[in-house]
Amino acid sequence: MQISDVMVTGAALTPFNRRRDGTGFRDWVVSAFGTALELSGLDRSDIQALYVASESDFFHLQLNPASVLATELGLTGVAATRCEGGGASGQIAVHTAARAIQAGAAKHVAVVGVDPSASSLSGDAIRELYGFSFDAWTDGMTGLTSTALYALSYQVFAAEHGTTEADLTTVTCQNRSNACHNPGAHLHRRDGPQEITDSPPIAIPYQRLHCSPLSDGAAALILSRRDAMPANRATAPTLAGMGAASDHMHLGARENAGSFAAKTQAMQRACAEVGIGPGEIGIAEIYDAYAGAQLQAIAALGLSAEVSRDLQAGAFAPTGRCAINLSGGLMGQGAPVGATGVGQTATCALILEGRYHPELQPQTLPRYALADTHGGVCTLAAVTILERGSSAL
Amino acid sequence: MISHRLTLEYTLHPGWLAPFVEGIASGNAMARRCKSCAGTSFPPLRVCLCSETEGEWVKLSGMAHILFRTSGQDGDFGLVQFDGATTKTTLRLIDIADEDTCGVIAAPKSNLPMLCLTRLPSGRST
Repeated sequence: MQISDVMVTGAALTPFNRRRDGTGFRDWVVSAFGTALELSGLDRSDIQALYVASESDFFHLQLNPASVLATELGLTGVAATRCEGGGASGQIAVHTAARAIQAGAAKHVAVVGVDPSASSLSGDAIRELYGFSFDAWTDGMTGLTSTALYALSYQVFAAEHGTTEADLTTVTCQNRSNACHNPGAHLHRRDGPQEITDSPPIAIPYQRLHCSPLSDGAAALILSRRDAMPANRATAPTLAGMGAASDHMHLGARENAGSFAAKTQAMQRACAEVGIGPGEIGIAEIYDAYAGAQLQAIAALGLSAEVSRDLQAGAFAPTGRCAINLSGGLMGQGAPVGATGVGQTATCALILEGRYHPELQPQTLPRYALADTHGGVCTLAAVTILERGSSAL
Repeated sequence: MISHRLTLEYTLHPGWLAPFVEGIASGNAMARRCKSCAGTSFPPLRVCLCSETEGEWVKLSGMAHILFRTSGQDGDFGLVQFDGATTKTTLRLIDIADEDTCGVIAAPKSNLPMLCLTRLPSGRST
């Protein structure tokens, strides 16, 4: 069986924001799963396995969340697996679920991603916890924050690639502008250069507005084997290729501290499964934890050999040759970590079917879409390429 | 709304990393020198970049050159190159002026294995 035999028959996201409305993470998962299941046309009893992406028990204070969520979803009895890889948790869950279908272990599986990253703990507590996402015994104990490590890595990249503050501004403005058309996005604000400059310096060159917000939310997918796909889902896209890779956990041990080498490897593996090159990607949801991380990702994924030039020429704008982060990305849509990768894949699937938010939906459906995540400072990378269904709208 | 305060007291055993952790506590940079290629990693790598697993602990001079630095609300941090190391190191910068290009390892003031670089004593240079 080929990877292209795995179809995305259901896809949904809850709004990403600070959920201080009395709801909890179980509610969000139930909501996203219900919407995705409805799109798939399947019945709850058709789901044979559940894969749950969630970064940390610290966020929801629930160990063994997969079994709890299986019960909440009315799936008691199915195989339930929790997948974790920092910021890459969502994509890892997607990969694990798709591989199960490829292996013949199931015909229909559910993937849910969730994290209450914003409202259950203070910002300072979350910042300290994220510091342990790298090497807890060196970087974490030293007090190195996520923003500081990303800032150091980006400086190395900028020195090599010649990217500038103007490029950080362009990414920030573009992603936040896209988010304004996404009703489920965390931030609905159009930040301009002055607002960015005036925002507090977190770890230079990163001001606060160059950073993605902490968010709460969930996303869900229903994946199905092609020969078991419901008759009404002929437009469903396929998971055409997947790739994952890791890099040295210490930034300083890497040959190039500014290069996301694991992302390059992951992308090469995914492209090899599809039989295409990066140039054929028409839209991409990129892991933009910080504005500079998006630039580093564009280079590592092979989407551009001249990142600054192509960015400023509009190549990654909504009408560009490869629209990036139409959802607003992490910087605009938000970052509930476990939900991020699942949500990116759901976004790509909805766009490839012409089902996305009207103001963001490309008029011409691209053939290939890319969902890209990583954990750590790209210590662990996981990417997924989706292909438009042959009968898409 | 459920409000719950959870206090955790961890006791972590550094195991193989003990020389490194103890070195930091006393303001020393204990690195790992590869038996095969002599590559010297700091922080130490259990498996060298050349894939060799055998090596020995060596004490570096503790002096380092600052390659990149960042500052802001999160504090001052740098990517530095310690003299005698072949890998680079991310660490906290303490009392190092913007124009300073080098510093020396300092014992942390907390009980955590916090990698810190501070300004060189006057008259000392790399």
